[in-house]
Amino acid sequence: MAVFGTAALIVTFALAVYATGAALLAARRRDRRLMQSAANALMAGFATTLAATVCLLIALARHDFSIQTVATTTSRELPLQYRLSALWASQEGSLLLWLTVLTGAASLVMLQNRRRNRELMPWVAAVLGGIIVFFSGMVAFVSPPFQQVSGAAPANGSGLDPALQNPYMVAHPPMLYLGYVSVAVPFAFAMAALIAGRTDSRWLVAVRRWTLFAWMCLGVGMLLGAHWAYVEIGWGGYWAWDPVENAALMPWLAATAFLHSVMVQEKKGMLKVWNMVLVTATFALALFGTFLTRSGIVGSIHAFVQSGVGVYLLTFIAVVLAVATALIVWRLPMLRSEHRLESVVSREATFLFNNLLLLAFAFAILWGVIFPVLSEAVRGVQSTVSTPYYNFFLVAFGLPLLILTGIGPLVAWRKASVNSLARTFRWPAMSALAAGGLMALAGLGSSAAGLTAFSLCVFVTITIGLEFARGMSARRAVAGTSWSRSLVDLVGRNRRRYGGYVVHLAIVILVVGVTASSAYSTSTQATLAPGQSMNLAGYTLTYDGLSRSRDSNSVTTSAVLKVSRGGQTVGSLSPGQRIYPIEQRSTNEVDIRRSMLTGTDLYTILQGVSQQDGRTVTVKALVNPAVGLIWVAGLVFLIGALITIWPDPREARQLARRYAAALAREA
Amino acid sequence: MSNAAIAVGVALLVAVAVAAVAWPFVSPVRGVPEPVLSERDRHRIELLERRDAAYSGLRDLEHDHRTGKVSDDDYEAERRRLRGEAAGVLRDLDALDSTTGDRPDPPREV
Repeated sequence: MAVFGTAALIVTFALAVYATGAALLAARRRDRRLMQSAANALMAGFATTLAATVCLLIALARHDFSIQTVATTTSRELPLQYRLSALWASQEGSLLLWLTVLTGAASLVMLQNRRRNRELMPWVAAVLGGIIVFFSGMVAFVSPPFQQVSGAAPANGSGLDPALQNPYMVAHPPMLYLGYVSVAVPFAFAMAALIAGRTDSRWLVAVRRWTLFAWMCLGVGMLLGAHWAYVEIGWGGYWAWDPVENAALMPWLAATAFLHSVMVQEKKGMLKVWNMVLVTATFALALFGTFLTRSGIVGSIHAFVQSGVGVYLLTFIAVVLAVATALIVWRLPMLRSEHRLESVVSREATFLFNNLLLLAFAFAILWGVIFPVLSEAVRGVQSTVSTPYYNFFLVAFGLPLLILTGIGPLVAWRKASVNSLARTFRWPAMSALAAGGLMALAGLGSSAAGLTAFSLCVFVTITIGLEFARGMSARRAVAGTSWSRSLVDLVGRNRRRYGGYVVHLAIVILVVGVTASSAYSTSTQATLAPGQSMNLAGYTLTYDGLSRSRDSNSVTTSAVLKVSRGGQTVGSLSPGQRIYPIEQRSTNEVDIRRSMLTGTDLYTILQGVSQQDGRTVTVKALVNPAVGLIWVAGLVFLIGALITIWPDPREARQLARRYAAALAREA
Repeated sequence: MSNAAIAVGVALLVAVAVAAVAWPFVSPVRGVPEPVLSERDRHRIELLERRDAAYSGLRDLEHDHRTGKVSDDDYEAERRRLRGEAAGVLRDLDALDSTTGDRPDPPREV
């Protein structure tokens, strides 16, 4: 199995080298057969990579401990789903997954564009082929997933990190990888457009859905990761500005900026250079995220040396940045704007401000991530950049971004007059002020940032509501349809616009959830003997005693807590500590009581069991208001993103009309 | 898995890969050169994009006016400007196509 898997990976590498060379030659000679051969090589590369991945999955499922990856990430006691998800628990396996998704994306691009974008495709194939050469080289020769253990195979493996034995870890990493890898496609098209001198908006149309898909996967992946942290890590929060979390957030922010600025290029022929920079930044940040998670540089700079893959990834990022910069500079004359910004009060200006804030936030995070590494490398001093640093920038950049989320849709393209602005913003602004006053009276003024965020959320929600209401009203006036039909028509005919508004609504829900659960959270901790109680935010938790349970690879000790409110028992919670004998690790198993109505969680953590009497426990409890809205936001985000991604046949027909005539004469 | 089975598997893998890349050269369908746009075609596409951008601008303007984001005066002024821009592009397209005998896409209702 290992030999076959290794051979498959070497064949993938050879195919990628061939595809890159053949595509370059096809571009030079305008040879369609060579191009088809290059495309076939990329698709065959996907098949061989998939074969290698299946080999590793079989080895993981069958306890083939002669393979180091299997021996170090699984054990005989590990349930099947976690044996399979151990594929991405190791560096070697996760790079193999990267390669599988990358070759799959490249194959899909080749199939989608068999008869489209013919001038660009040889260059696209060459760029994607080049990226695959790098990653297949890494997987085949630097970090091989089928490496054998030295000596005889052990009778049992050392097991999987208990924190990774969670259903969310089955879905969260692949989702993030889909996001990281899919941004390679917009990058490849952007570079192809520069090389081919086709800097018109064709490449933007070709990559729009890929960018949206990557951005959606990164967004959903981050929320899945946040939920995993919330229910598994057991500190009561969901986002800790961990470098690995930041690794996904940075390309997502850059992609968000790109998705906005691309509209300015399509509508106004402006920001062409900026869009090239954003696509490059998004891809480079996705690679940097892979570097962060795979090199080990974040834990300690010495791990970077030990890891082996870090230096290759860093070199590759440098090459990507150098080549992209050179191409952009070379094609600067072609990337001139067709129009100038005519007013700072216009849709394009709000998009530009939004871009600057998103990029500034991304680079503030980047600095926070690399500062400890630079500090250790230059001064030899270990330092950390902690939560207050990130929270400062979250508020400093996040609140203006929230304002722009409300303002942008209400401002006309090109320029807006003071009168129309006053008319448009009257209701949203008055509602936000009134809501802010009411919330202050209700006692939410303890956090100025929280109160401001809530007021702005009201502002944005009203603007979105008005946009839908006015759009439906206009649609009804034109078509004379019912309100429900008008809504369907409105969204169906303007998927990008109204799908975008749904995503904005998701951001509002997210901000409410994050603000409420962080600015207004309460917590307490108590050491309890059986029968004793602790109080928090109207809840009384009474400790009844310990319970123990066992499954195939762990033993759990839980404290049974009776929960009452206003003198009435409303349920029970059993936070516990789980011991994994094989892995010799333990984890907190939190227990949460959720209110479906308010989204508020009563969150309990078993901090410890007394060594002296074996019965007294220390319990920490938190009340996280409206935290459930964060997960609701994820669902709304997904719906909005899917509306936006859904293909628009009218647009496809228009593009086909525009290009077919010119190409038909040449073919 | 026996060594023979592994050898057969690897040989099959290589054979499939070679067949995939060689197929376009041995298939009975003759290859033709990849189409490349001439400078004139590029210019034409650029004009078509500008025309479509003007149409799209008019549609957005109409929507913004109907939803109250643009005043009547601003709407009229901007509408005149965008229509003038579209007309200019259409004239350029006519001039370009009259030399080749091609016809631009018919203008659509906006």
